[in-house]
Amino acid sequence: MNIAYLTLGLIAIYLYVSFVSLIWEGVDRKLVARMQRRIGPPVLQPIYDFLKLVSKESIIPRDANKFFEIAPVLALASSIALLAYTPLGFEPLLATKGDVIVFIYLLALIAFVRVMGAVSSGSPYAQIGAQREIIMLASREVPMMLGLFAILWRLSKLGVEKPFSLGTFYQYNIWEIGTPLTVFGTFVLFIVFLLWLASEIEVGYFNIPEAETEVAEGPMAEYSGRHLALFKLSSALKEFASASLVVAIFFPWGISGYLGLTGIGAVVLDLLFHTLKVFIVLFVSMSVFRAITGRLRITQAVGMFWGRILPMSFIGVLLIVIDVLGVIA
Amino acid sequence: MENRVEYWVKIPIGPIHPALEEPEKFIITLDGERIVNVDVKLGYNLRGVEWIGMRRNYIQILYLAERMCGICSFSHNYTYSRAVEEMAGIEVPERAEYIRVIIGELERIHSHLLNLGVVGHAIGYDTVLHLSWLARERVMDILEAIGGNRVNYAMNTIGGVRRDIEDKHKRAILEMIKYYREEVMPKVEEVFLYDPTVEARLRDAGVIPKRIAIEYSAQGPTARGSGVEKDARYNEQLGVYPDLGIKPITPKEFTGIIKGDMFDRMVVRVGELWQSMELIERALDQMPEGKIKAFPKDNIALVRLKKAEGEGIGRYEAPRGELIHYVMANPGSEIPERWKMREPTFPNLFAVARALVGEQLADVPVAIASIDPCLSCTDRVAVIDAKTGKKKVLTEKDLLKASIEKTREINPNIKAKPEPVGGTCGGVRL
Repeated sequence: MNIAYLTLGLIAIYLYVSFVSLIWEGVDRKLVARMQRRIGPPVLQPIYDFLKLVSKESIIPRDANKFFEIAPVLALASSIALLAYTPLGFEPLLATKGDVIVFIYLLALIAFVRVMGAVSSGSPYAQIGAQREIIMLASREVPMMLGLFAILWRLSKLGVEKPFSLGTFYQYNIWEIGTPLTVFGTFVLFIVFLLWLASEIEVGYFNIPEAETEVAEGPMAEYSGRHLALFKLSSALKEFASASLVVAIFFPWGISGYLGLTGIGAVVLDLLFHTLKVFIVLFVSMSVFRAITGRLRITQAVGMFWGRILPMSFIGVLLIVIDVLGVIA
Repeated sequence: MENRVEYWVKIPIGPIHPALEEPEKFIITLDGERIVNVDVKLGYNLRGVEWIGMRRNYIQILYLAERMCGICSFSHNYTYSRAVEEMAGIEVPERAEYIRVIIGELERIHSHLLNLGVVGHAIGYDTVLHLSWLARERVMDILEAIGGNRVNYAMNTIGGVRRDIEDKHKRAILEMIKYYREEVMPKVEEVFLYDPTVEARLRDAGVIPKRIAIEYSAQGPTARGSGVEKDARYNEQLGVYPDLGIKPITPKEFTGIIKGDMFDRMVVRVGELWQSMELIERALDQMPEGKIKAFPKDNIALVRLKKAEGEGIGRYEAPRGELIHYVMANPGSEIPERWKMREPTFPNLFAVARALVGEQLADVPVAIASIDPCLSCTDRVAVIDAKTGKKKVLTEKDLLKASIEKTREINPNIKAKPEPVGGTCGGVRL
């Protein structure tokens, strides 16, 4: 019985998030178009694109191997699995003791599957895109994980049972602690997370693996039709899930508690409110960032992660550590 | 070095690639992200313009010349007109020269704004593309109001211009300049002189040192960005330009330093936008009254050109660099014996290919965009065996042999026997 509910819940979440994340793509395109003094496509355009791509023939390159066709399916499967571990205004569906680690693992897995598919396509552009994707993956995870674990550690000091669980964020809020050092440290980490989010969804400075004018969409260079549609959907889901992490860490508040709702009504309301918060975070980290920056070279981006963002993360973590250990009272 | 060859990847940029506006091909040898070698392949955009030109009369060629390029349509037919005027010794009325300056500078504004957007797009900064192309619409509207067309304005004719600039045009142009000065240029300067993304991507990349610029005979903003003070309008004292106070723009006046990188090329373009506006204002001020063409009717011009002898060379600083047209008369005929042009993109392409060695793959689209290539002008010759349909590449020796043969045929008295100079081109020994 429990498993049946879980499966139904996951399917419902999957359908909802697919729809909402594709809508967000449309909203983003419209917003960026307005910032660039254009009219922009209709808000539903990504959904039309998706349906059109699904109905189109998929061309398999002669040099591609079997993994080329499996990769999109695996990427979508990983994204759906990721949704089960994504905080969506309430605890993740499959909340466990260590779901934070599963979450990070699944995020990396999607990128890894993309890389494998690109390498299997036999196109030199895709090869270069895959190289770039791996380099970016290796650079962006470190500052993010450092910040994430520092915050979880800080929260665990308040006495939670499962310190490596995403549910922690809904029990305690990092801003509630209220000491100046923690608040400031958290703020620094928030900026780190916004930059990480931008690089995770590859926009602005970090649109390096898929650089259209350099490597012709990089890993996606050879994909078309159904396979491309699956990848597009999976990256839209990934976008939403990554932004959900940022929202869960820094803005976990729900509104159902204030309205006194319980049961299914509360869940739906929290989900809608969470979606709104995700849109706001994505607006800052994706739309605005995309409109006001261009792409960096890969060396500059890696240098930025190791030389700027990682030290920034260290500073945030150190502030939190000092607060906890009471070095400066 | 040799045993590392197996790790190198050769990737083709082009003939069709999102970074390129026109078909051209760069075969890039990569070691990781570092470029080891760049090979330029041309000839994907051949339309046989010279061949068509040999079947048109002098007046008809004007309209053909205009359609060689989608951007510098005025430059081509202006340069061609200058060549024909020099050949036949035709005096152009002063007012016509001023009108030519105005149209030429309007064209430079629209071409440079276009290129600023293209470079923005090449680094993934699409906001720059959309906003600078939005600003470009204004000058396109002015050109349409004067010439009746956004791109092919057909202003020139042999011995003058076809349309006058009236008071309403003058008012519209001055209004446009005011708009650009107050609303567009501060933003353009903000982006191309101070924006951190643009600086990070364009500074110290794709460097063409002054020596290379001179050796490869780089033209236009590409040469001036490397500190070579080369501007056909200034060096040749072209038309009425000396009266308007023309001088070559180098990045020194803006940033105080000349590095010859992509950033400097863009700075030169920004500087030339300012300069063009000043030139237009002065030209509108100083423009005398009078005739706008030497011949009232085209057929009178044709009769005169039929009697012409000798040859003429026209030079003009097109937005991309110095453009040269050569026309040779065929006495007694309305059709020229020979019409040949040299476009600025051709030397610039090889200079930039040289500059790319040692840079990263990410710099390729930006560096190519930064010389503002115009391939439809450049591709004019392809040597194809009519029987087998095979393309053939001519080396310096073959070309020299062919030209010696042709010279003997025209004038058997010439006895000189030049030797090949030698050198390399795209890694191939000539």
